[in-house]
Amino acid sequence: MRLPAPRETVPLLLVAAIAAILPVFGSDYYLGVGFALFGWIALVQSWTIVSGLAGYISLGHVVFAGIGGYVLVLTWGAVPVWAGAVLGALAAGLFALLVGLPVLRVRGPYFVILTFGLAEFAKYVVINIENALGKFGRLILGGPQVETLYWAMAAAALAGTLAVIATRRVRLGAGLAAVREDELAAETIGVPTVRFKLFAFALSALLPGFVGALFVLRTGYFEPAQAFDPVISFTIVTMAIIGGSEDARGPVLGALFLVVLSELLWASFPQVYMIILGALLIGFVLFAPNGVAGLLDRLRSTGGARAAT
Amino acid sequence: MKKFVGVLAASALAAAAWAAPAQAAEVRIGYSIAKTGLFAPAAPSQINAYNLWAEQVNARGGLDLGGKERRKVKLIQYDDQSNPGNAVKIYEKLITQDKVDLLLSPWGTPHHFAIASVLERHKFPMIGSTASSVQLRNMKPGNIWFTTAAVADKLATAMVGLLQTAGVKSVAVLTNQLPFGQENKKFLMPALKAAGIEVLVDADYPPNIKDMTAILVKVKAAKPDGVIGLAYPGDSILYINKAREIGIAAKFQYLLVGPAIGFFRGMFKGAADGIVTLGHWSPHGDNARSKAFYAAYKKKFKQEPDYLDSVEAWVSVEILEQAVAKAGLDKDKLRQAISTGTFDTIIGKVRFDGVQNAVTPTGFLQIQKGELHVVWPKDRQTAPLAPKTGWK
Repeated sequence: MRLPAPRETVPLLLVAAIAAILPVFGSDYYLGVGFALFGWIALVQSWTIVSGLAGYISLGHVVFAGIGGYVLVLTWGAVPVWAGAVLGALAAGLFALLVGLPVLRVRGPYFVILTFGLAEFAKYVVINIENALGKFGRLILGGPQVETLYWAMAAAALAGTLAVIATRRVRLGAGLAAVREDELAAETIGVPTVRFKLFAFALSALLPGFVGALFVLRTGYFEPAQAFDPVISFTIVTMAIIGGSEDARGPVLGALFLVVLSELLWASFPQVYMIILGALLIGFVLFAPNGVAGLLDRLRSTGGARAAT
Repeated sequence: MKKFVGVLAASALAAAAWAAPAQAAEVRIGYSIAKTGLFAPAAPSQINAYNLWAEQVNARGGLDLGGKERRKVKLIQYDDQSNPGNAVKIYEKLITQDKVDLLLSPWGTPHHFAIASVLERHKFPMIGSTASSVQLRNMKPGNIWFTTAAVADKLATAMVGLLQTAGVKSVAVLTNQLPFGQENKKFLMPALKAAGIEVLVDADYPPNIKDMTAILVKVKAAKPDGVIGLAYPGDSILYINKAREIGIAAKFQYLLVGPAIGFFRGMFKGAADGIVTLGHWSPHGDNARSKAFYAAYKKKFKQEPDYLDSVEAWVSVEILEQAVAKAGLDKDKLRQAISTGTFDTIIGKVRFDGVQNAVTPTGFLQIQKGELHVVWPKDRQTAPLAPKTGWK
């Protein structure tokens, strides 16, 4: 058994520390910000399993959150709330298993487009089901309070971070890395690529299903166009790029950076914050192409070099 | 020493800056709205109404607080990016961080529903505006109220009345798949059947439809007396363009949301004449408040108010102002005042029964010679319903 490396302990401790500190402020607003932050961390960590480790870039991860949310409203009142959220996660995982075999046959840009299309397809299927059922946006009254949702989401963020760390440590992680570098070569030397990819895809769908269910509980309202909003998929990819590393640090740093930045900006400059945010993002991609994690590594190595001389 | 003085001066400045907002003693009123995203085109109608109101209140010397004092108002606005989740976070911030004195409503039904639990948790009363759904009746009364008279089941009954008045025996029903359109359809179809009005075409289409040719060719072939377009602004525009092009000749043509927005009539000139739409307000009645609002809005923004959204937003601030004049800023007294009071507004008297507007009847507007008139209900009409005669 390897000892945990800092790149494994740091993100875990960071998430745990934030989760412990935010409630101290005693304000719903900070709990709300924390809820959003943990939601994004869980989503980006999940995405990293299939897109970071295996290199299959998904541009449709919102589909799993949407399914989770939809299952929650469908089971609302029939099962306890927590069971609805867990069922949402399982349904998302099952969906990934079902579509995974055909979808994971294509690679590169084709996979990107296919996942995006799949999410849009699922959105319109749900819209049509809802219309056929005579539903027009579903209202959920009496959901859990913000504290409960906060802790549930913090647990999801921790679980996502742990999942990425664990996956990298076991054979699955090595296999996925081999798939990413050269799938044909991996298969030749005996890596069960199909099984690994499918397993990773399903694994990366579970938590988003749970997160999607919590999102619906937070607003108390389900509407397919919002639950399957492609902007969620885009934001996941943006955060991953900003985080900039394929270990568990990237998603935490990326989500933290974007959530804190946009939070500070919209509160201080409500009229122009989108412009500032856009400019900062462009600057970031130009001057720190390896993301926040890359920036930290660079700072540390130059610091180390100076200390050595 | 110099440094010490510097630090002292800086901290004094900082303290002054921190204390300044408290001394100004403005009544701080917060809201979030979709400045960006999917609903951004709809938001200005509401923002304009809020800004006009704040300007007028301050010109009057401020908001009357329970008859004791008047204080100027300051609006605090955030962008929710059309995302109800953001609206939840923003209203939590407005209440717990910004500690605003009053709240105004955001744009849209999902946003109203999303923040209802925040209002409930903090016992903070807010008057809603641009929201409509039969589901609003399930909300717990006490901290949120809805001004609208355009709830889908009442709309269906009123629509059948209007169709019978117009002598319409057969219709085509075209429905946008967004929630409000679907909700209207759900209640309209059985009402049509019960009234013996035949549905010749029944077509649903996606929210982002780009071309209605296929649907409208079918409508033209079926020759219905009426077309009921349960549409949103974008597809309302598509409809007029295509229906004019292929010459839909139905004498009754209805579009749910869109024609009440100012630019719509400017865009189509005479071609939009005869189109019926949802709404229960027009400046042509004898309500003095209405005329004053219409004139002030037109003067300030160089355009007409949106007959739906600007009006609902304005009604919500009229009610808020009158309730605050009675109860002051105390939340419990304010809740009591809103729940039990009767208010003078540009849509007439308004009183709430639970969360709903208990007074205003469901109505329809029609474009006649470039002006919007109330044509239903009959006792409130500013002009009788006229058949649509061609596309000019």
